[in-house]
Amino acid sequence: MKRGTCHPLFHLSPFYPTLKMQDEDIALHRFALFTACCTAFLIFVGGLVTSTRSGLSVPDWPTTYGWNMFTFPFSKWVGGIFYEHSHRLVASTVGFLTVILTVWTWMKETRSWVRWLSTAATGAVILQGVFGGLTVIFLLPAWISTVHACLAQTFFCLIIAMAVVTSPQWKRGLPLIKAHAESVPLETLCVMTTSAVYVQLILGALMRHTNAGLTIPDFPLALGHIIPPLISSKVIIHFAHRVGALMVTAMVVWTFSRIARSYSYYPLLLRPARTMLVLVVVQISLGAATVWTAKALLPTTAHVLTGALVLGTSFLLTLRAYAMVVDRVPAWK
Amino acid sequence: MQKRTLFLSASLLVAALAAGCGGGGSNEPTLPPAPSNTTPSGPSFDMSKATATVSGKIAFEGTPPPNDKIQMSSDPYCQMHAAEYSTAETVKVTDGGLENVMIYVSMGAPAGPFAPPSTPVEIVQQNCHYVPHVFTIMTNQTLNVKNADMTLHNIHIWAEKNPQFNVGQAVKGMITPTKFATPELIPIRCDVHKWMGAFVGVFDHPFSTVSKQDGTYELKLPPGTYEITAWHEKFGKKTMMVTVADNEKKDLGFSFNANDKAATAD
Repeated sequence: MKRGTCHPLFHLSPFYPTLKMQDEDIALHRFALFTACCTAFLIFVGGLVTSTRSGLSVPDWPTTYGWNMFTFPFSKWVGGIFYEHSHRLVASTVGFLTVILTVWTWMKETRSWVRWLSTAATGAVILQGVFGGLTVIFLLPAWISTVHACLAQTFFCLIIAMAVVTSPQWKRGLPLIKAHAESVPLETLCVMTTSAVYVQLILGALMRHTNAGLTIPDFPLALGHIIPPLISSKVIIHFAHRVGALMVTAMVVWTFSRIARSYSYYPLLLRPARTMLVLVVVQISLGAATVWTAKALLPTTAHVLTGALVLGTSFLLTLRAYAMVVDRVPAWK
Repeated sequence: MQKRTLFLSASLLVAALAAGCGGGGSNEPTLPPAPSNTTPSGPSFDMSKATATVSGKIAFEGTPPPNDKIQMSSDPYCQMHAAEYSTAETVKVTDGGLENVMIYVSMGAPAGPFAPPSTPVEIVQQNCHYVPHVFTIMTNQTLNVKNADMTLHNIHIWAEKNPQFNVGQAVKGMITPTKFATPELIPIRCDVHKWMGAFVGVFDHPFSTVSKQDGTYELKLPPGTYEITAWHEKFGKKTMMVTVADNEKKDLGFSFNANDKAATAD
């Protein structure tokens, strides 16, 4: 961005003419927040399906053993069906919540880009449902399952964005901070971190859906070495995920250090940065536990959820960094 | 405004529910199409020529390793039969004989074609287990998968050379027929009940069998020289050569031990 120009998100400031100061629909924001929480739960439930190898326990879609999925008898939720069917119901619930959020946004929101953001979220959740059905119908091909996993993370980010931009805090305008002279601007650093996390999630999904999770059964060494013999594609995928973990950790530490050093007076940046750092430590521990326990159910599934939370936190931080850090703070600020 | 939002949302909900509608029970499952070439071309091999007999015992040396314990509590119906099946069926040794070993001609089988028997082979889901656990079938011979339980099962055929399929059987008595066009060793699983598993050997000839409870087996062959393979799901496979003459009986025993391991795919 050129020096002396306004920040692209300046129109969100309280002095932007078309924004109504009184139009704080906190209910919409809370609903978006609730949908985001449900989405995190859905990611956990989806992780359980793969962790329990229940993905094909319901062979048909969108029906469940021929039943309408909303009327499938509870007495028949046995074995793997419990996980897969629960996942479908929670996913449907999140889908409905997203549709309600979109309708509500179109009716309440004056900012057209927020309306279209909600529409994108609905489109993403519908597409996610289709991919979920396709992966069952085509018997869990790795690429469809991996896309399904990654699209879940993308949708999660869209819902987080909805929760953020509908917040009264955001609508009033976040405090503007003059950017420090840095080789890598904070916003760029946050984008890089979020991107690194997303790539790591893709690798994680690929590893899960190609059954490469225990191809390297030891940790922190890999097949007894620091760099394992790359004897198969599964070993390569698994090791790439471990290398990705190092990259993500480095990016998160870098981001946190930057914020702690230069922006420590701004809790809107410091808190998510700190949360992200803690989550990454937890995530590495869960990754180790997953290997050590030979993919025990809880650490493995918690690892999936924590990965999503790292992404969500990083994404939130990125949004705020873009909104708050400017080249020049206007005189009225 | 709020009422209109609620009305619109409710309408969308109802529309989505209707879109998810299915029957009140289970519909007929959709199977991959049966192979088109179900009858061999040319005159079939005359099985009366199979006058020689190769028989023997599949022995297990030493102490068999313990089978994994299984938990059937995830399904109350299956839990009723848990006492009969406390462990997996992987290794079953009786009087030194290893059960459920697939024995087949891997090389030297006479030129076909071999007409598949008209009698179907049946695998039954009974008390939440597959019966039989290991069996053989010919290409293009009908395999009937039957649900004999008062619970849901899905029959998931993990074929690689044949079309893979996964079919639900929600009702007791449901029979799902299928056929395999290509010789292959195929694992069978139920994704609802994780402990359930079976193996089917698909051959394009009739010279295959499975060892009985005491480890014994018998193969009827035409005179000739053959490579006979014995395969076990945990201990892998062993091969031996045998030559038999017309009406000759030969004893061919195989031996496995706890150190033998099946090759694992990457």
